[in-house]
Amino acid sequence: MLETAVWITQVLLAAGALCAVYRVYKGPSVLDRVISVDVILVIVASVMLVEMVRSDHQDFIVFVLVTSVIGFLGAVAIARYVVARKPEDAERAAEREAQAAGMGVPEPEAPKNGADAPVMTALPQQEDESTSWFTALAKSGFVPKRGKDSESGSSGQGPGGSGGGSAEGPSERPKGER
Amino acid sequence: MELDAVLDGVAAVFLVIGGLMSLAAGIGLVRFPDLHSRMHAATKPQVLGLLMLLLAAAITWRSWASVAVTLLAWGLMLLTAPVSAHVVGRAGYRTKHMRADLLTADELAATVDRVSRDPGSRREVDR
Repeated sequence: MLETAVWITQVLLAAGALCAVYRVYKGPSVLDRVISVDVILVIVASVMLVEMVRSDHQDFIVFVLVTSVIGFLGAVAIARYVVARKPEDAERAAEREAQAAGMGVPEPEAPKNGADAPVMTALPQQEDESTSWFTALAKSGFVPKRGKDSESGSSGQGPGGSGGGSAEGPSERPKGER
Repeated sequence: MELDAVLDGVAAVFLVIGGLMSLAAGIGLVRFPDLHSRMHAATKPQVLGLLMLLLAAAITWRSWASVAVTLLAWGLMLLTAPVSAHVVGRAGYRTKHMRADLLTADELAATVDRVSRDPGSRREVDR
């Protein structure tokens, strides 16, 4: 009886993992992928538990412990760095799809801007959706708040810059939490 | 001999319930429309499904020491899952990764509007 239950459970877990993998592939935002990967991690821990039940040993229980902590750290770390979704992102995606549909349409800015400009304009079109938040963050001109060395903030890239980066957390936190 | 059969049957039922929880999470992840409703489905195997599987494992092993380790694993998951879900949901709300037309009540909207007009607020809130 336990053997058939183990097989049924493995099939159910595999179906759940496949659904979560589909959401990771399809998911429109980074946060959808984060929660799907979290589900996949829990399913992996469940598969280890079922295997321990089947062959009656306790070797993997430490991995089950570690898995819960890893899922927590990953979700919190990624959710801290999500950028805001803007309405022009949807327009840009629609016009990108239109460009992909009509392949013969030339780009208007390519002859105007010189040699290195097409590299910059072609980059976000090839960008994968899951990593585009990083380029959006890089292009948004985001500068972390500095505590005391704000007058030397833009010029000093050496020890002052790294010190300001570490001092950014506690000065920003109470304002964000209001 | 009688007790062993009963315990094996209980463990088998718990195993199948735990598998059904993760299957429900997968179906919910595929079928639900936006981030916050998907999060509702995604926390099912983390709490109840893992509890069922850990109980099945502890029943199969038949030792009290493994019950302690099992409860430690479940307590760790029970402590960390709400925190990570809260952080993900908060980031999803404030970066507008949700469908506002599906909400029946949005009690956070006034507060977030006021905070995002404040010049000292976080950059990820779209001004």
